Amino acid sequence: MNIISKNSLLRGSALVILASAAIYGCGDFLQNAAEPQGSLNGASLASKDGVEGNLIAAYRTLDCAGSTTNEWGCAVSNWVFASVASDDSYKGSDALDQPSINDIEGYHWNTSPAGHYLNTKWVAMYEGVVRANSAIRLLRQVVGSSPTAISDADQKGIEGEAIFLRAHYHFEAYRMWGNIPYMREDDTDYRKANEDTTAVIADILSDLNSAIALLPDAPRNGQKGRASVWTAKAYKGRVQMYDHRFAAARTTFEDVVNNGPYDLETSFDRVWSAYLDAQNGPETIFAYQASSNDGEPNSNNANFGERLNFPYDPSHFGCCGFDPPSQNLVNFFKVDAAGLPLAVTSPTSWNADDAAFIAGNMAPVDPRLDWTVGRDGVPYKDWGLYSIKWVRDPANGGPYMPKKIIHEQGSGQEAAVGWVPQQQSSINMHIFRYADLLLMLAEAYIETGNRAGALTIVNQIRARAAVKAQGPGANRGDMAIDPSDTRITWAKYNVQPYPAFPDDNYARQAVRFERRLELAMEGQRLFDLRRWGIAKAVLNGYLRGTGPAPYGTNGGREDARRSYKTSAEDFGDKHRWYFIPQDQIDLSKVGTELRLKQNPLW
Amino acid sequence: MKAYRMHLANAEKDLRATRTRIAPIDRVTGRNTMEKKGSYARNSSSDGRWRRLCAGVLSFLLVLAVGQTALAQNVAVSGTVTSAGGTPLPGVTVRVQGTDVRTVTDASGRFRISAPGDAVLSFSLVGQRPVQTTVAGRNTVDVTMAQVPYLEEVVVTAYTEQRRGDITGAVSSVNIEQATKQTQSSVLKAMDATVPGVTVSTSGSPGSRNTVRIRGISSFQNNDPLYIVDGMAVSDSYLNFLNPDDITSIQVLKDASSASIYGARAGNGVVLITTTKKGIAGPPQATLRVRTGVASPVRGYDEMVLTDALEYYKVVRQSFNNAGQPIGPPYQALYGDPNNPSVPLYTTAPPSAVTSRDAYGRITGVDLSQYSYPNSLIMPGSAGTNWWKAVWGSAPVSDYNLDVRGGSDENAYTVSANFFDQKGTAKYNDYRRGSLRANTDFTRGKFNFGENAVLTLSRQYGGSGTFDDTNGEGGILGKDILMQPVVSIYDVAGNFAGAKGVPAVNNSNPLQRAQSEKDNTTKYNQAFGNMYAGLNILPDLTIRTNLGFDLRQNGSNGFNTATPQDREPNFNNSIFEWDYQQYNWSWSNTARYLKSLNRHSLDLLVGQEANGGTNRFVQGTMSNLVLTGVDSRYLQDALGDPDTKNVFSNGGKSALLSLFGKIGYNFADKYVASYTLRRDGSSNLAPGHRWGTFPAIGLGWHISNERFLSGNRFLSDLMLRYGWGVTGNQNIPSGRVFAQYSGDRGDTFYDIAGANQSIVTGYRQLAIGNPDLKWEENRSSNIGADAVLLNGMFNVVFDVYTRRTDNLLFDPRTPATAGVASPPIINIGKMENKGFDFSIGHTASWWNVSFNGSHYKNKILSIDGEQDYFYGPDITRQDVMVINQVGHPIGSFFGLVTDGYFRDQADANAHLAIGNCGVGTGLTGVPCQSGAAPGRLKFKDTNGDGVVDNQDRTITGSPHPNFTMGIGLGAHRGQWDASATIFGTYGNKIYDDQKEWYVFRNFQTNVLKDMLQNSWSPQNLNAKYPRLDINDSYSVVPSTYYVEDGAYTRLRNVQIGYTLPGSARYLPGARVYIQGDNLWTHTNYGGLDPAIPPNASTGAAGDIRDQSMGIDRGSYPTNKVFSIGIVTSF
Repeated sequence: MNIISKNSLLRGSALVILASAAIYGCGDFLQNAAEPQGSLNGASLASKDGVEGNLIAAYRTLDCAGSTTNEWGCAVSNWVFASVASDDSYKGSDALDQPSINDIEGYHWNTSPAGHYLNTKWVAMYEGVVRANSAIRLLRQVVGSSPTAISDADQKGIEGEAIFLRAHYHFEAYRMWGNIPYMREDDTDYRKANEDTTAVIADILSDLNSAIALLPDAPRNGQKGRASVWTAKAYKGRVQMYDHRFAAARTTFEDVVNNGPYDLETSFDRVWSAYLDAQNGPETIFAYQASSNDGEPNSNNANFGERLNFPYDPSHFGCCGFDPPSQNLVNFFKVDAAGLPLAVTSPTSWNADDAAFIAGNMAPVDPRLDWTVGRDGVPYKDWGLYSIKWVRDPANGGPYMPKKIIHEQGSGQEAAVGWVPQQQSSINMHIFRYADLLLMLAEAYIETGNRAGALTIVNQIRARAAVKAQGPGANRGDMAIDPSDTRITWAKYNVQPYPAFPDDNYARQAVRFERRLELAMEGQRLFDLRRWGIAKAVLNGYLRGTGPAPYGTNGGREDARRSYKTSAEDFGDKHRWYFIPQDQIDLSKVGTELRLKQNPLW
Repeated sequence: MKAYRMHLANAEKDLRATRTRIAPIDRVTGRNTMEKKGSYARNSSSDGRWRRLCAGVLSFLLVLAVGQTALAQNVAVSGTVTSAGGTPLPGVTVRVQGTDVRTVTDASGRFRISAPGDAVLSFSLVGQRPVQTTVAGRNTVDVTMAQVPYLEEVVVTAYTEQRRGDITGAVSSVNIEQATKQTQSSVLKAMDATVPGVTVSTSGSPGSRNTVRIRGISSFQNNDPLYIVDGMAVSDSYLNFLNPDDITSIQVLKDASSASIYGARAGNGVVLITTTKKGIAGPPQATLRVRTGVASPVRGYDEMVLTDALEYYKVVRQSFNNAGQPIGPPYQALYGDPNNPSVPLYTTAPPSAVTSRDAYGRITGVDLSQYSYPNSLIMPGSAGTNWWKAVWGSAPVSDYNLDVRGGSDENAYTVSANFFDQKGTAKYNDYRRGSLRANTDFTRGKFNFGENAVLTLSRQYGGSGTFDDTNGEGGILGKDILMQPVVSIYDVAGNFAGAKGVPAVNNSNPLQRAQSEKDNTTKYNQAFGNMYAGLNILPDLTIRTNLGFDLRQNGSNGFNTATPQDREPNFNNSIFEWDYQQYNWSWSNTARYLKSLNRHSLDLLVGQEANGGTNRFVQGTMSNLVLTGVDSRYLQDALGDPDTKNVFSNGGKSALLSLFGKIGYNFADKYVASYTLRRDGSSNLAPGHRWGTFPAIGLGWHISNERFLSGNRFLSDLMLRYGWGVTGNQNIPSGRVFAQYSGDRGDTFYDIAGANQSIVTGYRQLAIGNPDLKWEENRSSNIGADAVLLNGMFNVVFDVYTRRTDNLLFDPRTPATAGVASPPIINIGKMENKGFDFSIGHTASWWNVSFNGSHYKNKILSIDGEQDYFYGPDITRQDVMVINQVGHPIGSFFGLVTDGYFRDQADANAHLAIGNCGVGTGLTGVPCQSGAAPGRLKFKDTNGDGVVDNQDRTITGSPHPNFTMGIGLGAHRGQWDASATIFGTYGNKIYDDQKEWYVFRNFQTNVLKDMLQNSWSPQNLNAKYPRLDINDSYSVVPSTYYVEDGAYTRLRNVQIGYTLPGSARYLPGARVYIQGDNLWTHTNYGGLDPAIPPNASTGAAGDIRDQSMGIDRGSYPTNKVFSIGIVTSF
């Protein structure tokens, strides 16, 4: 080889090496492309705005949020778990639609389809916990590094709200599953074992006490969606009731009643209403603040968790026919001539009616029926006469549809965007309302020897129920009218106070009946029945007509009314708690140990 | 087995590069009796440099000599060049040796040249042994060229060209001719039939996505192979931008030993595509290829489902009767007397328009003047709408290609243009592509440079969701096509009708959907190509630099119509628009040193490569447009409801940096060894773990060159190969090293003030980062053999392999207590594929056949060390039906196992608590099953715990084939030729999810034709379908009932051609042909089409479509295409 080609070799090699080095030399070449695109990093949120934003996100999971909506198990109302699974309502829709709910309704809670909904609920609740804990951690970080960045009052308020929300989400999980893991802001082990129910209650109460110590008297910044000290106190009483600490609950509730800001709405139609002047009124203790037409293109922030529970075409709403009230529930609203529940005065016959209870049937009823249930021929708030034709498949789900969650046409709060937006509005979803609190206090009174106190409360509730009934609904003025108004041609309304509670059993039943009438379709029923320890008797009576009156031998059994119910399992001891999603148990595996244990008897 | 056709383009350079090693080969293959005509340089010395020098001097002398005689007496010489098998060979360069005079044979192998009577003519064509012959005063010189023996083929492999005999890995060549015969927008669609070890799943939607998998599946996500097109890496499951006609070679690098030079992204194999259709020295020669045809679906749902309204009603009635329920008023209002039903005059009308009803509440008269859209619709009933025919039919497809090639010794060019237009067999659905390509190559002394560039514009119209396999309920192909026959297509005013008024139907009018999307246009604009330069610094040393680019600007705009006629009406229309821009580049620099000394030859390659890319995506939507025409579909406040205007953008960045080297060594053409080492740095991985090292070794033994096999008549040629190596994968979303936070109006924002129409910003953690992210590694070993048997009668290639993925990049689920943030991607899983693939080819005098087959077995070895399963994506309304479980293949079907039907009430009762069911605890010894009733599906208590529940779900089948095969047939007689391609897949199962609709009638869809006759009844205990029963919500759960044999054999392509004689008056030498695609299929699968692409599914760590393989959710069926074509040169 001659010298030139040697040089070429050298030159060529040098060129390659140089080229490599040129790129290699740019040490940032890889690093420059490493940053995530279009997201925030932890440091950018370490500020007051970041902390507040984390807290906002923790509120948002109260109802289905974009990242927690898988199916509708995330609904704030628990309509699947506490209404459909109780004697309040059926699944509705079409036989095969949302098959998960078939299994929830049939008490086949350990099936894989049921697991989908149960898992959705579990995920949504713990996402709430995660967001609340994240707000607390970030608050500590910001305060630690710049102590003056957030005022003392806000520091306390933020922490109090976050701890309150954490307690709420755990309580929701507790109501479902009883034995659950409790996650605090310092927990880094996501595979925590579940605690037993005693420990869970203690943890929830401990968090609520912390929140009470931190929270201000009124919602921070005057923002009605926030928890105040009264929210936390009221909630504490509720938890105490679930734990049968009646005396403690009574004390807590009396503090709220006597010193707190709450009161009953003047009339029942204002309790569930989309009119802005009726929202966040005195009865609201804690509610999911729905909003529509807020710029979100899918109406995700409206009452999203309820969107299936609207009448089907040809009604205005269009879809989807879920959660129809049961015949049993409708029958339950019948009253006797004295305006007392027929179930009280005629415990073996109140439920005998299998036929659709429609307009023109003048058997007297509690006016709350027509604020709770859509019935054929009866005005549906201000949407004209409800028709059985609005029902998706009456053969499957019966002739009725829910009504409380329906926004009024005149409210102008209907959503305009997203899939079938006619179903969506900014009607707030009550999580805890004052009537609920009062009726729990009435229970506490009975269990602590103050029957008279209970009577007062029940009659207070009944008096409010008697103020307004469904009117023709041509406009807002005649939508809610006096129950004796002659324009009412479709029903005869009557609701009267109890003259007396002769004994504790009578009183206990009267309070429980009142709770069902007042809170029907609000997602409390199954939790109440389980709390009272009567779920088995009531629900098997409801299903099969077995057991004593008033739930059992009463002429009506749902497996005859809805033939698919013959396939339901009996409600048994294992149904005391829901089946913990198998997915979550499997994911709690550490080594060979499954940290999460399934609930007893499952 | 067709020989790989190396390109003339690089002829000169390539020969220079390979000649040094060709010398010893020639010595060896001198024994090969296939060689019929004299070849060149037979006696050359072992040192090519010297030989070249000699050749140069000789050429010079020849030029002098010929040049003088040429002046004297030229004769017109013509002739035909054919292959050893008698097939005319087009494209053969015919030169008068020592001059610049040359020509090329036409499509019928004919040439015409003017040469001195004593001239030497040389014939050369890649893949054929060169031939030289003297004119010797003849006017007709017919030449037969012999194919280069398999092991002597030169194939393009990573960064270089290599002789097969030096390749120790598993490298398959796609038979381009066979592959491009099929009428497809992308060449990928045809690869499975021609390359063993490759599976391709694709739908019949024009321009649709292709799922190409090489030797199984190695990861839980992102299993696309790496495509290297002209040296530029591409991630693209479509590859529609490449006109198949521009492709000159496709090599599939199947094992690590061959692919690890691409270490970085080669874990799923590499597909090397070259478009170096370079010019040929001489005047411009144009070739026109035109094909046009008509496509229709291989099968239609109307062959399967009812098309008569009253027949359908009988199914409904039976379902009610069996459940003991009366036919409710809604059905009576439609069909009248339950026992004497008739077709309704109207399915719906507003109460105000109804003038009369019959005794059953049926509308018998309407006041048409009351009609108004959209709130007051009147729809006629139909005696039977054939919804399939309403939407599907035949559609034209055409493909036009023109290329012009030419050049001289020092420059060569090809310019080609393509227009491809395939209408969908679904209405209003179309794919069009136009591309323009320019490839050039210039040589200037030791310097060689050029470019390959293509500009492609393609358009997809309509058919949303069909191109990318987002199948399912919605759209024109999902369950909507199973609309009840009683629903009319149009209402009384000519607007689209819907299911309003028909009980419980939530389907939409599929024709309306198709029509409303006709202007939905997705645009793909792409500039792609490379520029390269090479320098032969020394005769043995070449350096080369290659700069590749891939620029894309894609966009889409579309319209979602209002559907007021539906039972779930939507009164709001909406539009969407998105724009995606991508800018990717790669720059590689290599130096190659080739040296032969005596019996040793050495091939050294060192190189460096950098890849970078950015992309950006912006999307906007708006609802309630005032005007809905195409001219108003813009995101502007006044054109719709400004409150619904929503804009979103995101993007990505990536960078890869690589260094690599390869040593190849060949001793006496008996022993071959190679060692490859590559280091890659990826921006996607954690700073401390960015660099991965990927080694590979290969060993080859050309055993037939050993003395003891010399002259063996059976084994003409045999090479044994062994390869082992490591490849990597870093194909995850960028930025996953870091914790990411964000927020969304529908997810974290909240109306904290209770104002009902305003929301406040909120944040949440979006993704949990992993600061230890590192490379996924795929180790594979391969043992193979290449054999030529019986003097070339058979070519056999056989490979067995194992591939094992370690540190598999995966985002194992975290418990809910960690929140919904995307779990960190960690290097944790392990997966294994074992298999073999082979091909056998035989070429006879007038026909040839090739057969290839492959088998792989995929197995998950580990998921995250703790979990031994996770479910596939939850894509239907029923339960999950896919599980990924340790010890089983990815994407296995999962569910209960059927055990016939409940025979009678006693049998059903025995399985209920009333019958004391429960093994061990009960009296009957039969397991409890909820919902047991006569005629419902009975399931097996597989775990024997006495209860049929979700613990009894088990693996019910695998979508992976046990064996796939391809057959290529060719024949040639006189002017006629014929070919056929057959593809078959065996042992794979299909989960027919459509049964959820057409058997179980979820949402009152249409049902299979024989439902009434073949559903269970006490007289039909072993029926095909469960008992019709509106209350049966039990039989529908995922089970073996849905799992069917997915095997099929399909005649992919058959073509018959006729080549016009060179003496023809019109179009001499042109070839005309007719062909049919997918004319015949044999399958036992009961669904529409057994060729099912995996449903599009994406997880937080990327594309997870491999977890939804073989699930029939209503895929666009394959097309049966009849076409005619012509190829002519001028």
